[in-house]
Amino acid sequence: MGSLDIGARKDRESRMREKSALGKRRRWNMNKPLIIMFLPIVVFFILFKYVPMFGFVIAFKDYNFADGILGSPWVGLDNYRYLFQNPDTLGIIRNTLVLSALTVFVGFPFPIILAILLNEVQRSWFKRWTQTLLYLPHFLNWVIVGGLVLMLFSIETGFVNNMLERLTGSSYPFLFKEGSWIAIFVASGIWKAAGWSAIIYLAALTSIDPSLYEAAGMDGAGKWKQIRHITLPSLMPTIILMFILNIGNVMDVGFDQVYVLQNPVVTNVAEVISTWNFKVGLGSGQFSYATAMGLFESLIGLTLVLIVNGIARRSGRGLW
Amino acid sequence: MKPTTGEKVFYGVNYFILALAALSCLLPIVHIIALSLSGNEAITLGKVGLWPRDFTWTAYSKLIQDTNIVGAFRNSLVITLVGTALNMLFTILAAYPLSRKHFYARRTLTLAIVFTMLFTAGLIPNYLLVKSLGLVGNYGALWLPGLVSVYNLLVLKSFFENIPEELEDAARIDGSGEWRIILQIVLPLSIPVIATIALFYGVAHWNSFFNVLIYINDPARFNLSVLVQNMIQSQSLMSELAMLDPDAFRKLTPESIRSAGIMVMILPMLIVYPFLQKYFVKGMLIGSVKG
Repeated sequence: MGSLDIGARKDRESRMREKSALGKRRRWNMNKPLIIMFLPIVVFFILFKYVPMFGFVIAFKDYNFADGILGSPWVGLDNYRYLFQNPDTLGIIRNTLVLSALTVFVGFPFPIILAILLNEVQRSWFKRWTQTLLYLPHFLNWVIVGGLVLMLFSIETGFVNNMLERLTGSSYPFLFKEGSWIAIFVASGIWKAAGWSAIIYLAALTSIDPSLYEAAGMDGAGKWKQIRHITLPSLMPTIILMFILNIGNVMDVGFDQVYVLQNPVVTNVAEVISTWNFKVGLGSGQFSYATAMGLFESLIGLTLVLIVNGIARRSGRGLW
Repeated sequence: MKPTTGEKVFYGVNYFILALAALSCLLPIVHIIALSLSGNEAITLGKVGLWPRDFTWTAYSKLIQDTNIVGAFRNSLVITLVGTALNMLFTILAAYPLSRKHFYARRTLTLAIVFTMLFTAGLIPNYLLVKSLGLVGNYGALWLPGLVSVYNLLVLKSFFENIPEELEDAARIDGSGEWRIILQIVLPLSIPVIATIALFYGVAHWNSFFNVLIYINDPARFNLSVLVQNMIQSQSLMSELAMLDPDAFRKLTPESIRSAGIMVMILPMLIVYPFLQKYFVKGMLIGSVKG
């Protein structure tokens, strides 16, 4: 009996070994075409995404063209000492934080409000038209939006100032005063993005059970109460998710928007890291300073995403 | 159920706010159209609102004759079409293997790719790389560094993952290779999502500004974004135009030429956008559900 048992086990084991060898073989055969397919992708990501990361060593060197990245002399943290002691560059970091924080926090509620309002529309033609128009600015680039803004607010011929002049008799240099420039900057960002960002919330709203509203209506809850106690709580997971994603962008003021809107008069509030990098790095060839600033920006961005995701994960809503 | 008074007020206010928001998106564009078709005097006197005054096509004809807008339009088309084709090819090549459960190291590779979305090398290192590859001044500098967008890659990957495996197993038993499975089963089933991703890439290329600004130096190779931005920002182009043809220029203001330039850039978008809107929205949703 015993020997028979052992024999049976042996048989099963060898069969399994054979099978797993066959499985490995089969897996390798199935992988071959996939590996061939994926090879160019590996090359792409290494060459264009990972190799430049090593370019960050320039941040700790005094880069010059003649010596190249490897040959240029090391300077340790000198570049950072310069960046963090110079009032100009500190101002640029401050401007970046101010403009991006305003964009993120002031702009954040708009898509949510739009989605809730759109969700209450019952006439489908009205909903379709407003959605089409609200999504449109997302597809116009900053050159166009910047052009629209400059034309609307210019002093001599701008539509807004024409109206103002007719009403009050005087015009206002909106684009040349720091306060109104910031307001226009933030508002144009909201104008461009709010409609499109509402899509995510709209999708989340469709999953709310309509019977909740019916029941609330029966119990005498008006529209405001329904929105406060049903719609908003149902949107909460999406709102938190979008908030995390937005926080990750806090150091990142897009180059295009600032570049097309800024003018020399408002440089004090309008110069940000990306435009400074462009001017100092590519314009005047001070690669080390610009790279040091770039590394600082990337690290802050990464840290913010990790921190916010960590917090969200504790409440079970993290991204990963 | 009859709406209560409170509900009536709520709906009225709601429709009013939304109509206002929607009009705020439409009216600036209408104003630009009106400016681009109006005469000099009406514009300087600030009489142009939403309808052209002293109707004239001069701004457009000057734009076409005296600036390189036709060439820039062609450049934008080339950048967009070639760029999108390359993007699609390589995004599919990246997404398919990563979507296969038996692919070696699929998790590690996906993580390594997602990391590049969270941590980027920044302007100068990227510029130095493109320069050392000899791509500066070349449209390759616009196409290659952004060959695969991680976001679009993830969208496509998750779509491929949801295609039922039985279909492929059946094909495999019939002796089809991996390439044939992609071409005959996976791609035909993914046409809607592929169209959506192609549209996203296409819009990004059509609107590309920064990369053209830093990598392309020859004005003859500028795309519409950079050309129009130069027109908006610089006075010199306007004085050049004035010197070329003082008579015609007296009838024009810089505003009408700028508006016409903006219109040339917006128009293709305005024409295709209403038809493609549903694909865009769909794409946004696929991405966010997975995201």
